[in-house]
Amino acid sequence: MPFHRRQVLGFTVAAPFALALKPALAANRADVSREVLLTWHKLILELVRHTATYMPPVAARAFGYIGVTAHEALATGNPALRSLAGQVTDLTPLPARGEGAFDEPCVLHAALDAAVNGLFANTGPTGQRAMQKMGEIMGRTASDGMAEDVVQRSVAHGQAVAAHILDWAAKDGGAVIENLGFPMDYTPGSRPQDWVPTSAIRLQQAPLLPGWGTLRPFAVKDMAAMDAPAHPAYDEAPGSAFHGFAQEVHDVGKSLTDEQKLIARFWSDDAMLTPTPAGHWISIVMQIADRDALPVEVISATLAKLGCAQSDAFVSCWSTKFKYNLLRPVTYIKRHIDKAWEPLLITPPFPEYTSGHSTQSGAASTVLTAMLGDNFAFDDATHEDEGLPVRSFASFNAAAEEAAMSRMYGGIHFRFGNEAGLAQGRAIGAVAAALKTEA
Amino acid sequence: MMRALALCLALAAPVCAEPVVPTFTEETASAGIDTVFDGDWEYMVGGGVATFDCSGDGFPEIFLSGGAGPSALYLNRSPQGGALAFEKTDAVTLDAVLGAYPLDIDSDGVMDLVVLRLGENRLLRGLGECRFEDATQAWGFDGGDAWSTAFAAIWEKGQDWPTLAIGNYVDRKEEAFPWGSCTDNWLHRPEGARFGAPIPLTPSFCALSMLFTDWNRSGHPSLRVSNDREYYKGGQEQMWHLEPGQPPRLYTEKDDGWKRLRIWGMGIASADVNLDGYPDYYLTSMADNKLQVLKDPASGKPDYADIAFKSGITAHRPYTGGDLKPSTGWHPQFADVNNDGILDLFVAKGNVAKMPDFAEKDPNNLLLGQPDGVFMEAGDRAGVASFSISRGAQVVDFNLDGLLDLVVVNRWTSAQLWRQTSVVEGGWVQVRLQQDGPNRDGIGAVIEIRRGDKVERHEITSGGGHVSGSVGWLHFGLGAAATAELRVIWPDGTEGDWQELPARSFQILRPGRPAEAWSPM
Repeated sequence: MPFHRRQVLGFTVAAPFALALKPALAANRADVSREVLLTWHKLILELVRHTATYMPPVAARAFGYIGVTAHEALATGNPALRSLAGQVTDLTPLPARGEGAFDEPCVLHAALDAAVNGLFANTGPTGQRAMQKMGEIMGRTASDGMAEDVVQRSVAHGQAVAAHILDWAAKDGGAVIENLGFPMDYTPGSRPQDWVPTSAIRLQQAPLLPGWGTLRPFAVKDMAAMDAPAHPAYDEAPGSAFHGFAQEVHDVGKSLTDEQKLIARFWSDDAMLTPTPAGHWISIVMQIADRDALPVEVISATLAKLGCAQSDAFVSCWSTKFKYNLLRPVTYIKRHIDKAWEPLLITPPFPEYTSGHSTQSGAASTVLTAMLGDNFAFDDATHEDEGLPVRSFASFNAAAEEAAMSRMYGGIHFRFGNEAGLAQGRAIGAVAAALKTEA
Repeated sequence: MMRALALCLALAAPVCAEPVVPTFTEETASAGIDTVFDGDWEYMVGGGVATFDCSGDGFPEIFLSGGAGPSALYLNRSPQGGALAFEKTDAVTLDAVLGAYPLDIDSDGVMDLVVLRLGENRLLRGLGECRFEDATQAWGFDGGDAWSTAFAAIWEKGQDWPTLAIGNYVDRKEEAFPWGSCTDNWLHRPEGARFGAPIPLTPSFCALSMLFTDWNRSGHPSLRVSNDREYYKGGQEQMWHLEPGQPPRLYTEKDDGWKRLRIWGMGIASADVNLDGYPDYYLTSMADNKLQVLKDPASGKPDYADIAFKSGITAHRPYTGGDLKPSTGWHPQFADVNNDGILDLFVAKGNVAKMPDFAEKDPNNLLLGQPDGVFMEAGDRAGVASFSISRGAQVVDFNLDGLLDLVVVNRWTSAQLWRQTSVVEGGWVQVRLQQDGPNRDGIGAVIEIRRGDKVERHEITSGGGHVSGSVGWLHFGLGAAATAELRVIWPDGTEGDWQELPARSFQILRPGRPAEAWSPM
């Protein structure tokens, strides 16, 4: 059942909190928890952009673990919340709280601090410096006015929750990324439809993360069932269905309107230049949480389900990509239609089918619709500081469909790759949305 | 491959031969060099070196930045052709120095020094005999209070004093969210014999290299800026129009055909690598580096193709030492180190600091040019594959024997100095531009060298690299040629006569006058 806005706002009041605090203070502490959660996520979005290994699938994985960390940190002290242990793959019960009073902001801050430092241990000197400063600033915010023994007990528990999650994360097959995710050696396929490198960047002469499709999923139990159907039969003959799809990308690219160019750039979400597609959807949640003053438990539950969905969506999508190993539109078009054609966007260095961003957006929109409601209107200012205007959407599905279409405007996907990706993502999103976060 | 090799062996054709690999011998300690570029986060970029003759003997001195430690000026005591020797002085001992460029700002014939700092930048006026005084205030120069990490200079048409561009980096006071906090670059235009108030070059995107360059041979140099994408938001590589008397104006995609490129821009090296008569630009970054050539000079649009991959010059990961993670490139410089008449490229490399996804053992590159346009790595065989954490550098002939030597600044360890000890057969010529009046060293001039049916053009610039620059002898390799056929197009557009200069000679070139041979005392 979706948390419609009124129900969402009522959640805090109705839920029986196990806080060793007076009721009036509890409400204030909930606000502090909310600030802790959102401020840490503001930094996480920057760390994703500025940590070189954080390619889109890697970023989605991190969002999954951070989302689960925040939810579990709160769930260990709130009987109204249900742990994801036993629901998501291989997550065992989290450490229980001991005797004595605990403070939720301190627990949450300590858990996020430890989890972020663990997941972004390989970030550069500026990221390290920022994490340290954020730890100091949020630590002061969380502990301000609290008894020292409560702070110490809470911090220790938050750190124990994070340690449990990090230990779980270390065993999923995606913890170590070498050479920024590009294999040192790669033997390209020999079929005419096989993917070939599309850039003159030496590092990208092998595809990104070819083994990512084997990662342990969060929510999906049967990954094979999530696979996309085969793409239209490859054909180089003019008049064939496949040629027609390529011709469409070519023609659309040749006649892009300013609005279509804007849409392509708005959803471009390039690795190392933006928070990636997964981060874009996290940013949308943060903006809504801020606008609607969502309770921290709702934000954390939403981020947990969203993170799980996004990570699983990339795992499934990557499995499909390397199963079909389909070439990109730019390769086909230059070979068979127009040697001089260039896409608007930089073509990502991995196979086309299915579209990763479409899969992401299908999964994210399904989770958010389940959590916050259908026809939930929102504004998206994710790229405002990059100079791109705010875009408004009537629903999460409308945003997802625009995101999928943007890949054709950008010249980097065929229509069928976008449509299959959306469907693939929606199926995965439904599984993640079914996770139980309330008792 | 085997067929090509067999053909080369059968013909013994020069075009098939590998370039001669020069030999460098490190003489850091014996030459008395010991300055360390030190400091923490605020010194993760920078680390420059300036070389110039301030003693009047023709031998270049070395000024090394020290970061959080002291900078130092080293006087060149090397005998011609002999071991390198320097005398460390306290003539320019400053703290918080990130880099420096020599420039005769007041055109009095005595070299001055632009010092980029964390904090106030300084203009040091040369007094002769390697003495300097701080002329920052006297020349009306606003040194600011930024993290200054790039510099370029040009004499605009009609001006007696240069226009200085200063590139600035992150707002260092932003601790938790430094991203997106790039501070404005400044353009300091002259007002008579001093500088006016700085003009902000907004938007600015954390510049780590700048270069005035006449990219389209219009006679009006533009300002190219290479920016670090790690810190900007909405940024990209930039180029500014600089028309005399007009405000600087950014090249845009809509108006000029400028194409967006976003890299970890750290250094610019310029040279006419493809011999099309237009400057090409090597841009250092992390992982792949770029070599940009104009796609269509006739179009008049600054639309560049990246030919680094096909030129074998991406230098994207270490080639020796066993660390296969991506590289981090800093100072690039084209020079003909083996005197074969084909430009080579040196790239200083080094991890930013504790970035585990990038090579920690990241050797400097020495990429030797070949007739087919493909470069060949030879840093290890040449002896310059240092694994220190390198930043700025200069490729200069310190002992005036015609063989280029090398100085490299390192983070947390001493700068390194190499003397080239090769026995190479190729000839060379070294020239100095000198003109009366303003801009005595001819910044903005072009030297053209005829090589067979090709004319190779060299812009004489002040700026670029990674916070490192040089004024002095301009070195050209000649291969087997007994003479160099060259001419100068002076900054005012005056075309000098073509001249035949003998190989293995030093020549002073002045407008309207025959070359004057020079020899070390």
